[in-house]
Amino acid sequence: MAPSIQNRIGVLRAERGLSRQQLADAVGINYQTVGYLERGDYNPSLELAFRIAEYFGLPLEAVFSRQPFVPMSSQLYGKEESA
Amino acid sequence: MTEVRSEHPVIAAWHRRPISSRVGSRRFRRRLIIATYAGWLVWAGSVKFLSYGPLPPIWLSLLLVGGNLVVQAVWVTRRTIINTPALLDVELDERLVQSRNAAFRMAFKIFAWATLFGWPVSFLAIQLQPNNQGILNALILFVGVTMLATTLPTVIVAWREPDPTEPERPAAAQ
Repeated sequence: MAPSIQNRIGVLRAERGLSRQQLADAVGINYQTVGYLERGDYNPSLELAFRIAEYFGLPLEAVFSRQPFVPMSSQLYGKEESA
Repeated sequence: MTEVRSEHPVIAAWHRRPISSRVGSRRFRRRLIIATYAGWLVWAGSVKFLSYGPLPPIWLSLLLVGGNLVVQAVWVTRRTIINTPALLDVELDERLVQSRNAAFRMAFKIFAWATLFGWPVSFLAIQLQPNNQGILNALILFVGVTMLATTLPTVIVAWREPDPTEPERPAAAQ
């Protein structure tokens, strides 16, 4: 099984008040696939990853990572938090 | 289609795929699969039962053959996820394409094994059983293997694909 790629899709979607259906429509996938992505059950293709990052207006590495993400609150306020 | 209220419209030029939403609930799909295979077993059992008596009336034979044809036609022509061979890649997203392709690979393995065992069993049935019963048994096996070949990939996808939950309401901004 391929190692899971970490992503912030769920957080970004919640921040923007989007439903899974809305995000799915915007990037051209089935809304169930959004759930698969958020749970880490499915690794997106490079094309889909770029499409999602572009939709959120963020660089790819801000949305996807091979390492666990540092919590956004820690990044914003400079506090180190152990996951 | 839901209007997207994001402040970040997608500007990349990518082909928008019409995603098929005709998935149906998992319970419905599994019931359809069980009903179809049970129907085939009833058909095979009926043919076998009738073969022991005198030649059945022509209307009964036509009913059996016609009923089987209708079930097969429904499988082949229905454009739902249950019949994904009818769905082109452009109608599925990349996860569903992968899921369908994986089902085809597994179905091929199962079909290859079924054929491997079905062929010698059919041969033995023809050789060892008298009064044309052997040929009939071989025919039933042949039809069964053919039905497996035409339905198995979609059955695997339909059985595995989770229930399509209702799209949630937009999450509250945090």
